Amino acid sequence: MTEKQKGPMTLSRFDKLASNRQRLLLVGVFGFIVVLFVFPLIASGFWMRTLTLLFLLAAMAQGWNFIGGYTGYAAFGNVAFFGIGAYGTALSMLRLHFPFLPALLVGGAAAMAFAVVIGLPVLRLKGHYFAIATVALATALGEVADFWTDFTGGAAGLTLPFFRPISLSNYFFYYLALLLVLLGLGLTYLIMNRKLGYSWVAIREDEDAAKMMGINTTWAKVVAFALSALMAGLAGGIYAYWNTFVLAEEVFKIEYTLQMILATVLGGPGTIFGPFIGAFMYYILITLLVFFLPVGQLHETILGTIIILVMVFTPQGIMDFLSGRKKLTLSSLLENIRMHRV
Amino acid sequence: MTGEVIFETQGITKHFGGLAAVDNVNMKIYRGEILGLIGPNGAGKTTFVNVITGMLPPTRGRVFFKGRDITGWPAYKIGRIGIARTFQIVKPFRGMTVRENVAVGAMFGHKGGERTAQEALEKADEVLEFVEMAHLRNHFADQLTLAYLKRLELAKALAMEPELLFLDEVMAGLNTREIEEAMDLIRKINASGVTLLIIEHVMKAIAGVTQRVFVLNFGTELAQGTPEEVLNDPRVIKAYLGEKFVERQRRLLHQKSSTTNA
Amino acid sequence: MSSLELTQGVVNAILLSGTLALVAIGFSIVWGILNIINIAHGAFIMLGAYITYWLFTLFGIDPFLSIPLSMLTLFIVGYLIQRYLINLVIRAPLLVTFLLTFAMEIVIINLATFFWKGDLRSVTPAYSGAGLTLGMVQIPYIRLAAFFISLFLTGLLHVFMTYTKAGNAIRATGMDIDAARLQGVKIAHTYALTFAIGSALAGAAGSLISVSFPIDPTMGGAYTLRAFLICVLGGLGSIPAVMLGALVYAFIEVFSGIYAPGLKDAIALFVLVLVLIVRPTGIAGKAFYH
Repeated sequence: MTEKQKGPMTLSRFDKLASNRQRLLLVGVFGFIVVLFVFPLIASGFWMRTLTLLFLLAAMAQGWNFIGGYTGYAAFGNVAFFGIGAYGTALSMLRLHFPFLPALLVGGAAAMAFAVVIGLPVLRLKGHYFAIATVALATALGEVADFWTDFTGGAAGLTLPFFRPISLSNYFFYYLALLLVLLGLGLTYLIMNRKLGYSWVAIREDEDAAKMMGINTTWAKVVAFALSALMAGLAGGIYAYWNTFVLAEEVFKIEYTLQMILATVLGGPGTIFGPFIGAFMYYILITLLVFFLPVGQLHETILGTIIILVMVFTPQGIMDFLSGRKKLTLSSLLENIRMHRV
Repeated sequence: MTGEVIFETQGITKHFGGLAAVDNVNMKIYRGEILGLIGPNGAGKTTFVNVITGMLPPTRGRVFFKGRDITGWPAYKIGRIGIARTFQIVKPFRGMTVRENVAVGAMFGHKGGERTAQEALEKADEVLEFVEMAHLRNHFADQLTLAYLKRLELAKALAMEPELLFLDEVMAGLNTREIEEAMDLIRKINASGVTLLIIEHVMKAIAGVTQRVFVLNFGTELAQGTPEEVLNDPRVIKAYLGEKFVERQRRLLHQKSSTTNA
Repeated sequence: MSSLELTQGVVNAILLSGTLALVAIGFSIVWGILNIINIAHGAFIMLGAYITYWLFTLFGIDPFLSIPLSMLTLFIVGYLIQRYLINLVIRAPLLVTFLLTFAMEIVIINLATFFWKGDLRSVTPAYSGAGLTLGMVQIPYIRLAAFFISLFLTGLLHVFMTYTKAGNAIRATGMDIDAARLQGVKIAHTYALTFAIGSALAGAAGSLISVSFPIDPTMGGAYTLRAFLICVLGGLGSIPAVMLGALVYAFIEVFSGIYAPGLKDAIALFVLVLVLIVRPTGIAGKAFYH
């Protein structure tokens, strides 16, 4: 049998042909998830909250992975969906008096609806134009939310009630966020084994060929975009209730988009576990920076430098090394430069 | 030529700015035939195919497939009703394996609606056997040589189970032996019931494989007929073949007709 | 609005368009030739502004005289960055270069904030407030000078691109890199030169901006966005296209600033998206730099 190499779909098929390395990776990830489930039994509130934030990032990264990683459309405005989810949830709870979970679904649905409406025209743009259009929309939306005080509370924001009982608050949001991450993993796995997943990768690799082969690329792209919106929107809704406060300036921050993209890229875009692992890598990186660098103000410089190094040497993320497709040698690190230099 | 007309264009015209790249082309394709489309570089052959397969909208004219008006249909819809094409510059999905590449055709093409992704992968194996690439199924598309890439391009189109297949210069860049193999494959495909239109510059293939030839020059029809008629037509010769070349082909054709036809 | 407000608005828009054209033109040649959206463009503008500021504050050098110095500095910085960093991954998918320049911006702004602190500063030479008054319309000398200097530099760029060997090499590389290479053009150097010129122009724009507006390390982002907007509005095809875009955009900005100050950016952004959808090559543009 020919050597099983890593492909866009490979790690999704748990068949016997997967290499030992990949099976080890799978076991490792699942084991890790089990650990995460029991973690709250021993962890302090601080760590639970930190991980909750991490899970939300992982969820958003998984969503971004659909449109940016698999389909190859580098959306730079997904924080817009986070904000819509946050506002959608908050407003449903405050104005429509919905309980939290239905409100959360409203937030997610609102984000998806927005993605479909915006996606239809904007996904016709290519490359840079698409990227900037999404950034522009996200920024504009943030401004509108800030401005539209009657609806959104403007600069004063919206205040939500606390989760009760308060003693269980940390647990509730931790597990909810973790469930969202699992939803993301499940969705990714399901899709990548079905026609939709193949259509995404086909679009990324060659959109014209994809069209010619019978793929309704418009529909496939919009679905990818909408699902990325769903993940970010649900994350936003959870964040809103957890934080009990929604402010336009905060929930439309461009930094969040950068983080979710970075997490995906670090872990491995176009892979199932990439965004999940990448979110952890990102947080570890940040934590190390905070711990070891007394010079607080230079964190961003270090972060920026790390991003530059990653973009130059390993833009495909760590997944290739973890799954054994590439060996961690100087040569493979230089491969990106060899392939893409002038 | 008689028989069922499987594909027809009426007055297909395509303007780019002020230039008519394709001008009033009326073409009939009969079921079961292998039709050749030739013409000098820039004659509009690829543009014509782009228009009739939905990649570009026509400026004027109509396109019919099995009697149905498919003018202005988007490419993906055309791909689903039984038409497939290959591209002059191959378009493999480099991040996928050979098998996955071909499976995409089986998933979304003509019979795609009836299949799951898994079934499409199995169909892909069949197609790969047919084109004799089964041993490469788990290689990534970016690891293939040009000849195999061309064959992959073909396999992807075949997986769509088309009734009508457009091949755009599949022979370009192949050596003599590879050309012979490609010609055999084309005959094999035709024998399995697929109607073909092949755009070619390699006259050996045109002469050896097609039953009819359509000549395009400056976007319009210049001549139509059997390979022999066309290759002897003074207008065609003038357009781009050159006298010496035609002599050579005449000799080749005489050799062919004195052996058994494929 | 009153006819005075209208006239003042028009004058302001025209004056603004000069500087904005300068802001956009450096961005557009990098985009057009190298196919890179330089997110750090605004950061270079900021650096130019600060160079002028420090030269003025520490050595009393007149801001307009400092322009050649800020241009030279940014030229060198831009050349090095392109030659030894961006060139390494320039043929990678757009996400890579996008994130790369994004990260560059983060680093530059962070370092600037670290060394120079985040406070607003301004460059105020003696003649700051002076200007002419036509009827009731105010025309500050500084803005007038900025306008003409911007036009001059833009014209200089046009001359360079059209009549010098290096300029033609750049344009050729943008049109057909393989053909250019075959003609003996050194691509790595040409790319670096292009980026250097774009950076130098950004520096000049920053210097001019520093005299008219307060500056701080984060000032650049808004200008990058405007540069992008202008390129999309006017099109990437040529210098006149960018100037047209700058003019149109200046009007949009000035007048939406009067009517709807809170939504200024949102309006501009919606216009951007609209233009992208309806006519991605812009009002006058072509697909690549001519």
